[in-house]
Amino acid sequence: MTDVSSKIREEARKLLKNGEVDVIIGFEKGSIPFSATPCFVRNEADTDKLIWNEYCGNNLARYLSEVRGKAGIIAKGCDTRAIVELIKEKQIQRERISIIGVPCEGMLDRKRIMMSCQRKDKTGIEDQDGQLLTRGDSLNTAVKKDEFLYPACHVCTNRNPVMYDVLIGNTIEERKTDDFADVTEFDEKHSEERWAYITDEIGRCIRCYACRNACPLCYCKECFVDSTQPQWVGKTTEQSDTLSFHIMRSIHLAGRCIECGACERACPVLVDIRILNRKMSADVKNLFGYKTGLDIDQPAPLSIFKPDDSEEFMLDV
Amino acid sequence: MDYKSIRKSEITEFLDNLIKEYVIFAPIEKDDIVLYGRIKSGNEVILDYSNSVNSPKEAVIPQLETLISCKTDKDITCVKEHLDEQEQFLLFGARPCDARSLLFLDKVFSDEECKDIYYVNRRNAVTIISLGCTLPQETCFCTTTGGGPFSTDGSDLLFIDIGDSYIVQIITEKGAELVEKLDLRKTQDDELTGMDMLIKKSRASIEPEIELDKLKDKLDRSFEGSAWEILAEKCLSCGICTYLCPACHCFDIVDEERKCEVERIRLWDSCQFPHFTMQTSGFNPRPTYKERYRQRIMHKFSYCIDNYGMVGCVGCGRCVTQCPVNLDIRQVLTSFYGK
Amino acid sequence: MGKIDTNWEPRIIAFLCNWCSYAGADLAGVGRMQYPANVRVIRVPCSGRISPFFILSSLQNGADGVLVSGCHPGDCHYLTGNYSARRKFALLKSQLEHIGIEKERVQFTWVSASEGGKFAEVINRVTETVRALGPAKKLVKKCL
Ligand code: SF4
Ligand code: SF4
Ligand code: SF4
Ligand code: FES
Repeated sequence: MTDVSSKIREEARKLLKNGEVDVIIGFEKGSIPFSATPCFVRNEADTDKLIWNEYCGNNLARYLSEVRGKAGIIAKGCDTRAIVELIKEKQIQRERISIIGVPCEGMLDRKRIMMSCQRKDKTGIEDQDGQLLTRGDSLNTAVKKDEFLYPACHVCTNRNPVMYDVLIGNTIEERKTDDFADVTEFDEKHSEERWAYITDEIGRCIRCYACRNACPLCYCKECFVDSTQPQWVGKTTEQSDTLSFHIMRSIHLAGRCIECGACERACPVLVDIRILNRKMSADVKNLFGYKTGLDIDQPAPLSIFKPDDSEEFMLDV
Repeated sequence: MDYKSIRKSEITEFLDNLIKEYVIFAPIEKDDIVLYGRIKSGNEVILDYSNSVNSPKEAVIPQLETLISCKTDKDITCVKEHLDEQEQFLLFGARPCDARSLLFLDKVFSDEECKDIYYVNRRNAVTIISLGCTLPQETCFCTTTGGGPFSTDGSDLLFIDIGDSYIVQIITEKGAELVEKLDLRKTQDDELTGMDMLIKKSRASIEPEIELDKLKDKLDRSFEGSAWEILAEKCLSCGICTYLCPACHCFDIVDEERKCEVERIRLWDSCQFPHFTMQTSGFNPRPTYKERYRQRIMHKFSYCIDNYGMVGCVGCGRCVTQCPVNLDIRQVLTSFYGK
Repeated sequence: MGKIDTNWEPRIIAFLCNWCSYAGADLAGVGRMQYPANVRVIRVPCSGRISPFFILSSLQNGADGVLVSGCHPGDCHYLTGNYSARRKFALLKSQLEHIGIEKERVQFTWVSASEGGKFAEVINRVTETVRALGPAKKLVKKCL
């Protein structure tokens, strides 16, 4: 058991004991290799289940607007950014949650780890004392864990919780600001190449809505995609329908998405969903000078305007 | 039991020959993701894979299918039924669990009293060549649900990997006919002994975990229990488990205007979606995660036994590997029966 | 090369604010100004009423181009509808371009009730650019 896990348990125990919360939302050991799974702890004895490792990728803030009673939550940087947005959007109340913040060095992609060894001559992969080793016909090979960092974690600038009641351990050094180089690079490609990439990615989508349901900010009681009166988007997996779903979702999350990548992690067919959300984040920053999930008092960019907002995109007649 | 053999190096040619006569579905890899889909040539197929992310059910119950369409032209409305003559197709390299799932789907869609013509039409055109599992995954539990890594249920031919070659086990008439057409070599006796050992070893690695009839009994008695709420607490109500499951088969029918015609489309639906049971009045009999998740388990492990005499799960483990919150169906089942 | 349909005429959906651009269109008509007949007008109470859904639905259902026109900044009948709309539209347009849709398919502009001439010019411009692009193929629903 790591030091972080034991401190988490201690804090959780305290909160439950003092009656400050009714439930702790955290992670417990998963049932399959390289996994941790969300868990809800309601009594002191069960706090021993709580763990912390590099497979705690789910965004637990997703559960906050639904859970009953006062909740304590184990939250990494992106989870706390989601909490900030949720408070701002009046989905949760700050007084009713206790945040146990955990600085995060980045989470690992379980599916890519498993996939990397399901073929070729490899027969398995193991985590041995913090090092990934693949087993194969030949020698054991060590794989760098960094290779399996989630894409969102590569560009994260808020690895330390932005809001918390207690912080576990010490803060870690943040990356310099995110310059959205990936978005710029993509947009420099020819439009047909962009279209080909996006339709290929979205083409795999099976419309299971795991992306939406895993997202902490997709809390609408009725999603536009489920609405039948009017029906905005057809229910099929034909390109036009699927693409419209994803475009509209990205627009609906513009200025709200906190770039945790939970959507992408949930996707069974690994659709590059962030390609759309990243673009919106870049625009929101460049056009409106806003970054999500940092400040409760800063109004959402699409709820306000400036008289001199850019009109560069408009028809020049 | 009849056997033939084929060298691994001959597989591409084998498929290229068949592709002239059949539409072939097989596992293909792209960007590390293994998906089961239609192939254009034999060299696309990969066989050293654990299992595909999606299941081959897509071949018999496609995610989308147009049942009828109608068009108005100069005041004349014509309705067209989309029940064309079916090309023969081949499911190649499907895992035994997935082959077995078709037997289950048959009970649902092609029952004596009630036949779904669209399904039956496609099903009759299918030949299944499955691939036995020498290395079952950590998430496989086919033996629990009545199958096994070399189960022949549902397959016409079963391929067994013995190193440089595959032994081809001939299971049905259909399979025998197909083998007739091809020039496969005779299987050596030592190959057969090797095969027996592999099969034994593989099976031993996944011992059944639960007795299904006892489980059903427990489930039936705990319908109203408080356990469900706790079990389903982390569920996201997404469609992953049902859409990837080879036995889940619920669908929705919608009329949609596309271009200038109206199509009546059947598409997959999922009992995990809140809208699945939403009634016109706005009342929803399965309003929360608890009722929806309970339905998934009860349907598979209780109602299906009542209705079809077989559980609605073949133990492929897809919902276990792919659930974004690791809500492991095996743990859920053992929490009711066992320990 | 596919067959070139010489009879093809672009289909353009225009969402016009009732208080300005719609009246501007009227004025253009009364003044007998010439502009192409490719535009199907949908009158809305304010540019702020237009959801990105409207625009996407138009493209999905066969529009070759979409025009949105509202009151000039400062002139919105509901004071700020067009300001809020401007932010939404900037993002939508940028996203469509990002995924590879021709950026001229969707256009935004301001036309007041007295700008009949400007309205005619806008329609001319939009129709000509869309005509040059050819029929929209990318987001259109196809028969299954
Ligand atoms: S859209 Fe994706 S990255 Fe953005 S907040 Fe939601 S889950 Fe996180
Ligand atoms: S999780 Fe993936 S497959 Fe499911 S709806 Fe989202 S993008 Fe599509
Ligand atoms: S059990 Fe998992 S896969 Fe199934 S609906 Fe719930 S979250 Fe989705
Ligand atoms: S009233 Fe014309 S844009 Fe608001």
